[in-house]
Amino acid sequence: MERSFAKEVELLRKGDGEYFEGEGILAITKALLQSGVSYVGGYQGAPVSHLMDVLTSDSKGLMAELGVHTETCANEAAAAAMLAASVNYPIRGAVTWKSTVGTNVAADALSNVASCGVVGGALIILGEDYGEGSSIIQERTHPFAMKCSMPLMDPRTSHPRMVALIEKGFELSEASNTPVMVEFRIRACHVTGRFATKDNRQGEYSTNRPIPKHDFSLERIALPPATYSQEERKVEQRLPAAVDFIRENALNEVFDGAYDDVGIVCQGGLFNSVIRGLQQMGLANVFGESELPILCLNVTYPLVDDEIAAFCAGKRAVLVVEEGFPDYLEQAINALLRKADLNTGIHGKGLFPKAGEYQPEVMLRGLAGFIEGAVPRGLDLAPVSQAVAELDRTKAAAAELLGGGVPKRPPGFCTGCPERPVFSAIKLVQREEDIGEFHISADIGCHSFAALPPFGLGNTITGYGLGLSSSAGVAPQFEKRMVSIMGDGGFWHNGLATGVSGAAFNKHDSVLVIMANGYSSATGQQHIPSTTAGGAVPGDTVMPIERALRGLGVTWVRKQYTYRVGKMKKLLHEALTTREKGLKVIIAEAECQIAKQRRLRPLLRKALDAGKRVVRTRFGVDEDSCTGDHSCIRLSGCPSLTVKPNPDPLRKDPIAHVNNGCVGCGLCGEVADAAVLCPSFYKADIVQNPSRIDRALDRTRRRVIGAMGGGSDRAEAGA
Amino acid sequence: MNAAVNGADLPERSFTMVVGALGGEGGGVLANWIVAAAESLDFPVQSTSIPGVAQRTGATTYYIEIYPAPYAVLGGRSPVMALYATPGNMDVVVASELMEAGRALELGWVTDRRTTLIASTHRIYSIQEKSAMGDGRFETGNLVKAADGMANRAILFDMDRLAQANDTAINAVILGVIAGSDATPIPAEAFEKAIEISGVAVSANLRGFRAGLGFVRGDARIPEPPPPLPRGGREIDLDSLLTKSAEDFPAAAQRVVQEGIRRTVDYQDPGYGQRFLEGAARFLAADRSAGGADRNFDLTVEASRYLALWMTYEDIIRVADLKGRPERMARVRREVGAREGEPLVVTEFLKPGFEELASVLPPALGRGLMRWTDRKPSRRKVHLAMRVKTNTVFGYARLRALAALRFWRPRTYRFAEEWAEIAAWIDAVEAAAARSYDLALAIAELPNLRKGYSDTHRRGVANYRRVFAGLARPAAQTAGDPADAAAALDEVRRAALADPEGEALDAALAAASAQIGRAAPDTGSAAAG
Repeated sequence: MERSFAKEVELLRKGDGEYFEGEGILAITKALLQSGVSYVGGYQGAPVSHLMDVLTSDSKGLMAELGVHTETCANEAAAAAMLAASVNYPIRGAVTWKSTVGTNVAADALSNVASCGVVGGALIILGEDYGEGSSIIQERTHPFAMKCSMPLMDPRTSHPRMVALIEKGFELSEASNTPVMVEFRIRACHVTGRFATKDNRQGEYSTNRPIPKHDFSLERIALPPATYSQEERKVEQRLPAAVDFIRENALNEVFDGAYDDVGIVCQGGLFNSVIRGLQQMGLANVFGESELPILCLNVTYPLVDDEIAAFCAGKRAVLVVEEGFPDYLEQAINALLRKADLNTGIHGKGLFPKAGEYQPEVMLRGLAGFIEGAVPRGLDLAPVSQAVAELDRTKAAAAELLGGGVPKRPPGFCTGCPERPVFSAIKLVQREEDIGEFHISADIGCHSFAALPPFGLGNTITGYGLGLSSSAGVAPQFEKRMVSIMGDGGFWHNGLATGVSGAAFNKHDSVLVIMANGYSSATGQQHIPSTTAGGAVPGDTVMPIERALRGLGVTWVRKQYTYRVGKMKKLLHEALTTREKGLKVIIAEAECQIAKQRRLRPLLRKALDAGKRVVRTRFGVDEDSCTGDHSCIRLSGCPSLTVKPNPDPLRKDPIAHVNNGCVGCGLCGEVADAAVLCPSFYKADIVQNPSRIDRALDRTRRRVIGAMGGGSDRAEAGA
Repeated sequence: MNAAVNGADLPERSFTMVVGALGGEGGGVLANWIVAAAESLDFPVQSTSIPGVAQRTGATTYYIEIYPAPYAVLGGRSPVMALYATPGNMDVVVASELMEAGRALELGWVTDRRTTLIASTHRIYSIQEKSAMGDGRFETGNLVKAADGMANRAILFDMDRLAQANDTAINAVILGVIAGSDATPIPAEAFEKAIEISGVAVSANLRGFRAGLGFVRGDARIPEPPPPLPRGGREIDLDSLLTKSAEDFPAAAQRVVQEGIRRTVDYQDPGYGQRFLEGAARFLAADRSAGGADRNFDLTVEASRYLALWMTYEDIIRVADLKGRPERMARVRREVGAREGEPLVVTEFLKPGFEELASVLPPALGRGLMRWTDRKPSRRKVHLAMRVKTNTVFGYARLRALAALRFWRPRTYRFAEEWAEIAAWIDAVEAAAARSYDLALAIAELPNLRKGYSDTHRRGVANYRRVFAGLARPAAQTAGDPADAAAALDEVRRAALADPEGEALDAALAAASAQIGRAAPDTGSAAAG
């Protein structure tokens, strides 16, 4: 990481009598330390990257003091397997990742740990990446909890409550001898707030207090016949123990309301949205005191049947506010009411959409639909229908005044991104007659954005590090070769083991491009085994991708600096046409621009302030030779390559323009050159703090050029 | 609701605010300042955001909620705050860019009951807008009207320019505007203190904050942008030519015709300017007899515009000529922000191939070379990559040598080729004017397809030729209903510009010929509809 987390670590040091003010994910991290964890592992991914980033950044400081072992795991399966520490020993620990994709990867280890059971409290902190801004397929984590009989918490969004529930989560895990999942949605991870802190605790065993003796028990091994008794214990003893603990500790919250012939059951994470919806209809006050009774499920699995039955008893209608599909809660509640012989009407999906995030508008309409249908005794419905009518009116008025939809802004590659040039090269090689367009098996990472405008490259994405594996079935169905793409993050996460070894083993004749930008960039530039960080990582700890490939017997391996578009194009052409059979790998190398700038900018500033000679490079477009066809933009999509009104009084279409965001990566010049686009691009090297030689050379040049009729730009310089 | 809130003095609801920004604009830092300011007053505050993929150039939002009463008076209770901007429930909506303000309006966040809308009017174009062959920019005229119409109060101005003028970032300016709007429960001093405490780029951010605050309070103005630098060009005596044009052409066409003369003379010589003027005069005559006076002489304006542009086609001679001008170097210096006394080296990327070579040979030789080149596709790919450093003596000499070929230009292959087509186009415009004003206008605008360089240019020219030969020329002479043809031409032109690969054009051309074909029996009678 090129970022510093010193400030965040300071927050984690707070103790009794102090207040924490900061982001949700950091509050969760603090709660882990207050609970006395001895190990924390995970795999980065929004929205939980921050947890790992902060803890691993300070492994030698606070973590060492507390005896906490932290580890950035190779992938989520490795992280889940770390929970094995709590299987035999009373050690608390936590692991984290993005769900459901990470949970999919972790599933094997999760099932095993859940079956064996734990003696030390074990938490799985999940970033439920669902809804707006999500980068993954839309699914729920809920069924993982169900199939493993593992409790799933979905805490109400309020810092004190989230922290308290994490602490309770460890106790729940110990009471039920089962790991506990805790899911937090994106906004809850990023929400700021405050809570009263407690001192951090050291675990019973930790890196400072070693385990005295290892424990062996066949009952804790996932091996028949123990697996049968484990299943029985899990279902017959551990799950009921969890239910008892949830009930006795009131982990779920009941809020009474005046109109008690109806009620609302919601997932904890949706509580704030429910309250905002009720506030809009005048049915709740600013402190969240609602006129309708609410049962807030901070634990959504297992359900406490009698708790729900008690809440529903005496009510004509209850609304279940449950995001995502399938509607597990609604189904379960219907079933348990049937068993309890209660006749309360259960509403949910139908009033709410089956799919998608419950954003405020959806929430308002869903709640209003329920209230208007159920007609709570004595409630004036006018404010309810008014709230909805006003929403309709506002949106209709805005649509009419705007007179048409506002264009979308799909995400794309950052300014100066080293991955963009590879896709420019792919576009160009596809224009060559002997190649043509081909199928691309894409992967997860920043490079996925190539599927969006302006490139439109990438036919399938099936999972992280699975770019090459996804080509196995389809590649043989084409006459010509196709290309698979994988990032270096994906390569180490999964791609090396599943993709490369599979392709080598099965003797695939295909082409793999590895985007080696040196980090797991899409998740926040975390280090990976091949990270060099511009030389900052000690050389003997770097694991080069090339050596890993050669170790698996791949012989055709080429490395290419990505910004050389012409050379990249040639190399792609060679890989696609060479007679050599087997896997051909191009390692497309160049450092993530975000990380690079973060490292270089302060150094540059320092050098400039010290009066040192610094050459700054920027690109530009000549406005009088640009014809406004924007071919350059279609082959690049760089945010700093944009358009501006044409200053030429004869021309009407906007011209290309490089704005101040330019970091001088040189791609536009390279593309203009490789694609033989247009001579409008120029590169400008500006010598800051010029030396005496620079100045003398410049003077001489100006004089000679001036004499040749080039005039002197001295007069306008610096205008 | 009041009844439920114990203590009559407590506010009934939280203050709500949303910031719509683009990834990388510092929206997160802005939100942090606001949160810090609220915390300094001991107000309960909450902010949340959606980073992740939205951060990479996509649209993103930051939502902030503040309960404007200190914790001390709440007696241990805390307000429940939302995690989303809620339609109809927003006090302040901020957009760091004009189209994002449109998105906020579309979502129903802005209501005249409560909302102060603060938006910068500058544009950051989305990828669809930027990548069109022609002008794909979103029409923002409605946006400002809608903003004024929907908001309780709208503060709209170019905050980006104000930021640039103060050499600072836009987020600091926006914070100043928020403070100056007095629409939040937080006094300006608290915001200022938040910037100081954050400890990052404090002086630049304070500069921006005060600029924004000053602007809203009417104490400051946005400085005018620096005037455009002179475009440059050869010194030529245009007086005689310009006087003549001033006499002959109606006021509406003056600007384009004068610019056309300047451009063509600068490109070649006064005789070339004369040649432009003759063409423009033919357009004017056709325009007049077609009743152009009622149409503001649009035909003369547009046809002369494209005539001047076509006549000054960008060959390597022209490009070298333009790049070697001293005025250009001054423009580059400003564009890249080079300061006085900082030496600058500009590198040009020139890559002539056989086509460029042919274009400067005599017609017979050039034609022969092109025929030879076309025989093998690989020959098209042969290029001489020239990286010319314009500020070096040798580099500059190379540009000058290329530019000096100007005198040879009228005897070149490309000149002959271009002029054959120009002549045919002028004839077609003239002929069409006799049939229909709109048709003539549509044909006049057709050369806009001939854009770009190299492959792009080749495709553009090929598209032009298909449309001209297949649709424009037949329509100009006899075929079909001219009104249909004009509409079809406009459609086809749009299609050609929408998709440089020509797929949309294929479809549009097919549709157009089908339509014109059906509508136009051989007689060319206008009865068909």
